[in-house]
Amino acid sequence: MSRFLRTAVLVLAALLFAVPLVSSGVFGFSLPTTGWTLDPLLGAVQNSQFRDQLLASLTLALLTTLAALALLIPTLLHLHLRLPQALPVAEALSVLPMVVPAVALVNGANLTFRATVPGFLTSMYSLVPFYVVLTLPLVYRSLDAGFRAIDLRTLVQASTSLGAGPIRTLLRVVLPNLRAAMLTASLLSVTLVLGEYALATLLLHNTYPVFLAQTGQDSPHAAAALAVLTLLGTWLLLSAFSLAGRRPRTGATT
Amino acid sequence: MSSALHDVRATTAVVARRVPNLTALKHLALAPYVLLLIVFLVVPLLANVWTAVHDSEGNWSSSAFQKVLEPQYLSSFRDTALLSATTAILGGILGLVLAWALTGDQVPRRLRDALLSFSGAASQFAGVPLAFAFIAALGTQGLVTTTVHDATGWQITDTMRLQDFWGLTLVYLYFQTPLMAILVLPAIAGLRREWLESAQSLGAGRARYLWDITLPITAPAVAGAVLLLFANAFSAYATAYAISGGGANLVAVMIGFFISGNVLLDESFAAALVTGMVLVVALALLGRWLLLRRTTRWMR
Repeated sequence: MSRFLRTAVLVLAALLFAVPLVSSGVFGFSLPTTGWTLDPLLGAVQNSQFRDQLLASLTLALLTTLAALALLIPTLLHLHLRLPQALPVAEALSVLPMVVPAVALVNGANLTFRATVPGFLTSMYSLVPFYVVLTLPLVYRSLDAGFRAIDLRTLVQASTSLGAGPIRTLLRVVLPNLRAAMLTASLLSVTLVLGEYALATLLLHNTYPVFLAQTGQDSPHAAAALAVLTLLGTWLLLSAFSLAGRRPRTGATT
Repeated sequence: MSSALHDVRATTAVVARRVPNLTALKHLALAPYVLLLIVFLVVPLLANVWTAVHDSEGNWSSSAFQKVLEPQYLSSFRDTALLSATTAILGGILGLVLAWALTGDQVPRRLRDALLSFSGAASQFAGVPLAFAFIAALGTQGLVTTTVHDATGWQITDTMRLQDFWGLTLVYLYFQTPLMAILVLPAIAGLRREWLESAQSLGAGRARYLWDITLPITAPAVAGAVLLLFANAFSAYATAYAISGGGANLVAVMIGFFISGNVLLDESFAAALVTGMVLVVALALLGRWLLLRRTTRWMR
């Protein structure tokens, strides 16, 4: 009985979740007069802004992810090895960005930086630190979980007693053991940045979601086609990390 | 002899002085992390609050907040809170049902795995693409709308337009429900089979078990998750903006409207709106934090 009910719930959920995706697929890849077609999609993709703004989003995603990893891995390493008593504070700080909605952050950024460093916000790259902050709650937690899952102290001591210096220990012992957590954190960061709309549009930077929003006003069929591809792409990216998490840990255990 | 002793004392004093320096150095390694948060989160937030309580000449003033309390602006706070509460509660209930179905180990595995990974992704779907997917389904020329119209002659958009309250509710439920499921899954999976068996062997029925065991154990996690859903909906901007084209009477959309310079900008007023919004979200998340401290005690 319970098995039947659970299965029924899951089937119903799957059907309901599919409605907007299927609709947007059908709407995006067909025209009332011509039937199935790629024309709306191709029209949008051949727009030179599509390439530029997708590239901008990909660049921002890459830079944000690298910056977050470069900042958080040494910080977490230090916290876990030398300063475990400060871990709760660092964790509390990492969820702080959830309190400040994106539109609120934009207004604060305008007030702060237009007065002090006027040129800063006009550069697209000024989004990177804000994106690191916005993605911090999820990225910090997934990296921290990786650190908690390994016996860091023993690994570092073993590596040191075998004669490895700190850099060698970091590169050959610590990082390989954190591979799954780093991949999870990176995929989350990339997905969130690729989809971020509020900061980009309100700080007047042309990223992929801004292009998508613009397309929606000019050609709804193309927007629907891009929307379904974007949503399915997000699902693919994020399910890659559940696979990464499931794979048995390999690395410097030999 | 006395000079050697003096040397030892001097060295000890130096070492003793260095030890606190070392702890200070240990904390210094956190500087980049803390600095990032200060410069790109705390200072902008404080700049907002400062601007909200000062007028354009820099004198203390509460006029910006008084303006927020005027009916036309207060109504957007009320509408946002209503939308957030509705989607948090409905999404909370649906998400619980979904999470319950996902924890069954006899359901078809492929279906369960697919929905599990989909829920993880869909909880992050909020934004422009989701808005367009819904417009393609339930907009005036949407697939569902036209299909229903052809079959029954009923135009859905006459009853429910996507930019109206229930339309937005439906769209928000698309990410709120899976988010709820993901959030409560650990708490539901943490319910031990032995607890049910012990309860039954002591004579409790299903309902009694649900009421006396399941509810008290999962209540803090469930309530905390609902509060996060509320904060999530209250902060959402992109989805509502893309669905309504900026026409929705929601706080986030209104702030976006002020920032884009569509109206003569009153800095203090925009800052007061932002401060109000942050206060609401902060209260919800504070409640969640207090509740979660209770949950983790049980789940260890």
